[in-house]
Amino acid sequence: MSATPLKREVYLLSRIDLPDSHTLSVYKANGGYQALEKVLTGGFTPAQVIQLVKDSGLRGRGGAGFSTGLKWSFMPDVAKDARPRYLAVNADESEPGTCKDRVLMEKDPHGLIEGILVACYAMRVKTAYVYVRGEYRLSYERVAAAVQEARAAGLIGQKILGTDFACDIWMHKGAGAYICGEETGLMESLEGKRGHPRPKPPFPAGSGLWKSPTTVNNVETLCNVPFVITRGAEWFKSLGTPKSPGNILIGISGHVERPGVYELPLGISARSVLEECAGGVWKGRTLKAWIPGGSSTGLLPGAKIDVAMDHDSIREAGSMLGTGAMIMLDETACTVRAMQVISRFYDHESCGQCSQCREGTQWLAQIFARLERGQGRMEDIELLSSLANGMAPAKTICALADAAAIPTHAIVKNFRAELEEHVRLGRCPLGSAHEAAELEEAHA
Amino acid sequence: MTKIILNGREVEADPKQPLIAACHEHASAVPMYCYHPGLSPVGSCRICQVEVKQGETPARVVVACRTPVVEGMVVNTEAPKAHEARRQCLEFLLKNHPLDCPICDKAGECDLQDYSFAEGQGEGRSVEPRRKLEKRKSLGDVIVLDQERCILCSRCVRFFEEVTKKPQLTVAGLGSRSVISTFADRPLEGNYQGNVADICPVGALTLQSFRFQARVWNLTKAPSTCGECSRGCSITVEVLRRQEVKRLRPRPNPAVNQFWMCDHGRFSFERFNAPGRLAGALLRGRTGLEAIDPADALDEIADLVRMHGAPLVVASPWLTQEEGERLRVLGGANHFLSPAPNTLKDDLLHTGDPCPNRRGLGALGFAPLAPAEALERLRAAPLALLVGERAVELLGAAALATLPSTLRLVVLDTHPLDAPAACIEIGVPDASERTGTWLNLDGHAGTLGIARSAPAGVAPLTRTLDELVRRTRGALAR
Repeated sequence: MSATPLKREVYLLSRIDLPDSHTLSVYKANGGYQALEKVLTGGFTPAQVIQLVKDSGLRGRGGAGFSTGLKWSFMPDVAKDARPRYLAVNADESEPGTCKDRVLMEKDPHGLIEGILVACYAMRVKTAYVYVRGEYRLSYERVAAAVQEARAAGLIGQKILGTDFACDIWMHKGAGAYICGEETGLMESLEGKRGHPRPKPPFPAGSGLWKSPTTVNNVETLCNVPFVITRGAEWFKSLGTPKSPGNILIGISGHVERPGVYELPLGISARSVLEECAGGVWKGRTLKAWIPGGSSTGLLPGAKIDVAMDHDSIREAGSMLGTGAMIMLDETACTVRAMQVISRFYDHESCGQCSQCREGTQWLAQIFARLERGQGRMEDIELLSSLANGMAPAKTICALADAAAIPTHAIVKNFRAELEEHVRLGRCPLGSAHEAAELEEAHA
Repeated sequence: MTKIILNGREVEADPKQPLIAACHEHASAVPMYCYHPGLSPVGSCRICQVEVKQGETPARVVVACRTPVVEGMVVNTEAPKAHEARRQCLEFLLKNHPLDCPICDKAGECDLQDYSFAEGQGEGRSVEPRRKLEKRKSLGDVIVLDQERCILCSRCVRFFEEVTKKPQLTVAGLGSRSVISTFADRPLEGNYQGNVADICPVGALTLQSFRFQARVWNLTKAPSTCGECSRGCSITVEVLRRQEVKRLRPRPNPAVNQFWMCDHGRFSFERFNAPGRLAGALLRGRTGLEAIDPADALDEIADLVRMHGAPLVVASPWLTQEEGERLRVLGGANHFLSPAPNTLKDDLLHTGDPCPNRRGLGALGFAPLAPAEALERLRAAPLALLVGERAVELLGAAALATLPSTLRLVVLDTHPLDAPAACIEIGVPDASERTGTWLNLDGHAGTLGIARSAPAGVAPLTRTLDELVRRTRGALAR
């Protein structure tokens, strides 16, 4: 953790409490579309925009934390590559525990659109697709309405703001598959196919949508872009940590008093998120375990709450920042039960292409369910580790197998005693065995 | 070509092919399920993991089917990490596999069985119930699907998408609930369905007609050529207990049929098993056709040639070059039967021309003759030789029976002909019993292979013709 206190400033969510924050007039009245005007009429070349974003140190907010400016710079030179170019906006937010993009899309859709337009200008893209998770009906409606409004106002289409910049934005509704949030699965789905991730290479910048150069960016990432443009790289770097600058939307859920989405500087202590923002563990109980960044990141012991919420610090603590979706479990919760639920999710959502993932996610789910039912064996604990080793890291086309393997490794490492107790007692020590059976029945 | 180090040896690799192709070319048995040299690589089964080291980066385990060949890369297919990765992958693949090898038609030629034996583990660690799915789902007249055995390699899906260009199969369902399916359970269509049973690496897609017919280790196999059209696809003829032809399968040949063959050709083998073969020779005597020694039959034919002069020769379009070269010496006018093109022509393999050796026989001076016209010529001829397997079938036994007995008809075919004009008959081997060459429509030579022996008393047609030429040499000297 950094010694000096982090600067607190809210920008991403600065407009969400305004009445009708989703409309063009409110957005414009509160500084909206100034970034677009700045790049289009302020003499910025696309390369300069990319450089500015690179300089800001903005890292993708979709989970992997890759440098946004660097990603944009991978798009081939237009002079040498005449293919159409695309931006695909990943709004298929479906990592369990995560609901940050939803807030942005419902409350500040024009912020997203402005980010898209700036990104398209920087990468010389004329067509952007917004791939919205199917269940996010209001998000879809709000962004679609905002696109219409922006188009009517000359902000989308030909001759944007009277310049030669032309860009169109199309909306696409997903059908509810988690795997379509994986960037290549998303592209397959956009093309009208099953959301089966593609092997990489080729990477999207070389061969993405319809085999053309494509960049896939997360909603929150793009929403950061207008602020980077208007306020500058130095301002952005004044927030967060040197390696993970800017603010991040942290969704905190589970056994807390005030679950919700909070905008905080990267590097904020997880304890302060829990205690200051979320009002601490609910009902005066103690924290047993917590997940730092969505279900794909490993479960940490409650004692390890004094960790900074940035990419590197959480990695050091043995987990990942992921999407910054903290899930808190109090002392009454069973971590085996939590893994039963999580592993069933990955079994359900594996696309089924890769052998290890298709069979492994199912196998893990079956073992966790058995352990929670009280039918586990001591050797199952080693088996869990061994299977997770067979699935990851990087043994499959996409990272879904890793997403199932990582929390599996984490529970064996951090909560081995609880696994063993399930075996020894032949039941869940917290007495939720019959609940687990019910759950299984409900999903059978 | 690109130089790579494969298992410690410098080898040349084609940079246009994925690494797995180089591994296979240089005799390193990297396993594969989803990869097939005739289909696009998808890299989904993950079994072909090998260790690769490029430049200064540490060695990593990658799937060979999706790894491009790069100059100087160091590949180790036998690295402990690669073995371990493949073992793990096999364990996952077997987790829900029914292990019903004892009743599976694929057993003995199953990639899952073979690779598991080679580098899998002896015992499974799963105590979970195995997936219960449909075990005998008919996908039409040709293919039956066992969903439990399927490892979802998607070769069959890609075959229809990429080879026939008419997608028919897809993966339905998600994750561990995935199954191969046709749209709305419609039956498969088309003339190329059988190929998916060949390329299925496990026993998920099997031929309806081969189901429970034979254990594959009881089949003897001979490389040969399909005679159902002038494409002349390279095939393997598979014979059960050296008697019954059980299966024809395509044999890779980049110049002719790549990896495929049509169902029309594939299921044509039933002809080889037709009973009632003509073994030895027949001569028309007072009481009809009577068995005689083939050598005596040849003498009789030579006498007829001396009496009537050079005969009208009507050859089967299945005649090989070697047979044609001998036969053309005998005839006054040489013809081969050329039935009308059939409607099976497509833009993949089938040419619609039922004459496998049209090009070769034409080059030898044989003129094509439509069956109806052939019957007319026969009707007017004093002496005719009808030579080669299928000649009687193509003209029709009933039509041949109407020929006048003024014609002295000599028949050299696989089955006897009951016709008043037929005076001498000698049995010949069929295409599964002899060797020889056909030239396909592009001039590629296709070799017939001997997959089984001809019935006792049946000599190779080349030898029979040699004998006949020797006996008639004086008579035909002009």
